[in-house]
Amino acid sequence: MKSKAWTEKFMQGVFFVAACASVLAVALICIFLFANGIPAMREIGFIKFITGEIWRPGSDQFGILPMIVGSLYVTAGAVIFGVPIGILTSVFMAMYCPKQIYKPLKAATELLAGIPSVIYGFFGLVVVVPIIRQFGTALYKAGIVDNPGNGNSILTASLILGMMILPTIIGTTESAMRAVPSHYYEGSLALGATKERSIFRVIIPAAKSGVIAGIVLGIGRAIGETMAVIMIVGNQARLTSSILQGIRTLTGNIVIEMGYATGLHREALIATGVVLFVFILIINFSVALLKRGADHE
Amino acid sequence: MKMKKFIAVLSVVSMMAVAAAGCGSSSDTSSAGDAAASDDSASSSEWDAASAITVVSREEGSGTRGAFTELFGVVDDDDNDITTLDAQVTNNTSVMMTTVSENEYAIGYISLGSLDESLVKAVSIDGAEATAENIENGSYTVSRPFNVAVKNDLDNPVATDFMAFIMSTEGQAVVSEEGYIPVSEVEAYAGEAPEGSCVVGGSSSISPLMEKLIEAYAEVNPNASIELQTTDSTTGMTSAIEGSYDIGMASRELNDEEAAELTGTVIATDGIAVIVNQNNPTDDLTVDQVKSIYIGDVTTWDAI
Repeated sequence: MKSKAWTEKFMQGVFFVAACASVLAVALICIFLFANGIPAMREIGFIKFITGEIWRPGSDQFGILPMIVGSLYVTAGAVIFGVPIGILTSVFMAMYCPKQIYKPLKAATELLAGIPSVIYGFFGLVVVVPIIRQFGTALYKAGIVDNPGNGNSILTASLILGMMILPTIIGTTESAMRAVPSHYYEGSLALGATKERSIFRVIIPAAKSGVIAGIVLGIGRAIGETMAVIMIVGNQARLTSSILQGIRTLTGNIVIEMGYATGLHREALIATGVVLFVFILIINFSVALLKRGADHE
Repeated sequence: MKMKKFIAVLSVVSMMAVAAAGCGSSSDTSSAGDAAASDDSASSSEWDAASAITVVSREEGSGTRGAFTELFGVVDDDDNDITTLDAQVTNNTSVMMTTVSENEYAIGYISLGSLDESLVKAVSIDGAEATAENIENGSYTVSRPFNVAVKNDLDNPVATDFMAFIMSTEGQAVVSEEGYIPVSEVEAYAGEAPEGSCVVGGSSSISPLMEKLIEAYAEVNPNASIELQTTDSTTGMTSAIEGSYDIGMASRELNDEEAAELTGTVIATDGIAVIVNQNNPTDDLTVDQVKSIYIGDVTTWDAI
């Protein structure tokens, strides 16, 4: 009896240490980022750093507004392409899918998650970029846009990122829909609703928090994605108004220039990481708020 | 029922989109086939000189970019880089080559040693072709040094001996074999072939050459083992100062902080090739033309 109590206590301690590891990792990353990034922000000037439109480290101009806007653009684009397709796919997989094709379909979406991002980037560079370039040229010739762009664009990055966040959204949405008690669905049918109406008016609202979690995980992946994006987005550090033009993201800015950066330039890149980190915090925080709102209803 | 209809419409639309994309790419491949079959007529009819130039550049701080902007004068009066902000940026030589080989209107620049003429075309600068001979005789002026650096008080016999090998006739023969420009006035290797190991690391531009040098050194001194780590110029220099590398590599000049702690040696010279798409009829550009493209004064091919 006594020895059992001891092992339980011991194992409890082991679990506690394991739990601490992740908290410690987050804490260390926070300390590293802020300790290195804040001094650089102060030296450049916080307002100048966040709202500056010109990034020329060689001549001491560190404005990351184009990168902030760039990250928001490509992430929003990824959500526009990825979320509808992801949710409709999970509706199909959870409610309509015949048994024979469920397994290959599930395997395919899981494989999509396992493909390394550099492969997505290379696929984008060789296949999607030329298609978008032709598309842009066609629009330009038809007089719809002023500048045809060269294929490395916000649109291209949005398409590829939309593809990359699909497995995240499909996985969480499908399991959330499957977790809805079957009597919800049966009750809806019994009241005379059609199958489609039951799915979109009963099941999905009931699975709302899972769906939102999936979307947010997808946004997190999109905003943090680096390798695939830098290969296809053009990486121009300036603002643009056309989705056929390229732009640079926060992650891209760090990766592209970290290798050779020294002194204040390097610190400015770490400060870029701080801004990215704050973005992720804001996203997580707003999800928590959204979820709380949903629970209160 | 409504939803079923909606899904049906959606699937039809997406299938049409796929079909349209399929058409686009298939017509593209057939025209590429035509171009290959009857080269001139097809490619020149496709070439539209009024199209905007896609300017592709390396990232700020890269050794290649630093050398390029300096040599072509893409700098203002205070030596600040003024490459147009509309230039596409990549941090990778192979992405640079793929982009230029996929986009007919693109221009970029890469290390001469990495140039693959089956993918892209190197243009002549001021009439001189980008070749090792032309760099050596001074007619092709766009080149930069490959530096290796060791600590001022280096006490690793293998590293010292390896440096002596690089700066010998044998070592420099490897340099010119690989398409880089060797250092003149060297003597034959007369090392004592000490036993031991050392670590070399740094610039990814120098790495392919260093790999060949290490192979050649292993033949004259089988007692030593040399480890090569590929990172970047700044990491190479920092690690050499810290002592984790015995020899650091940098594809740029050493800055003042680094030069205070390290002794740099130029082991080779590398040319920088300005590359365009193979369908581009341009064969020759002047330094001023390249400069005005990269500053953003000239934005279409017919305006050059």
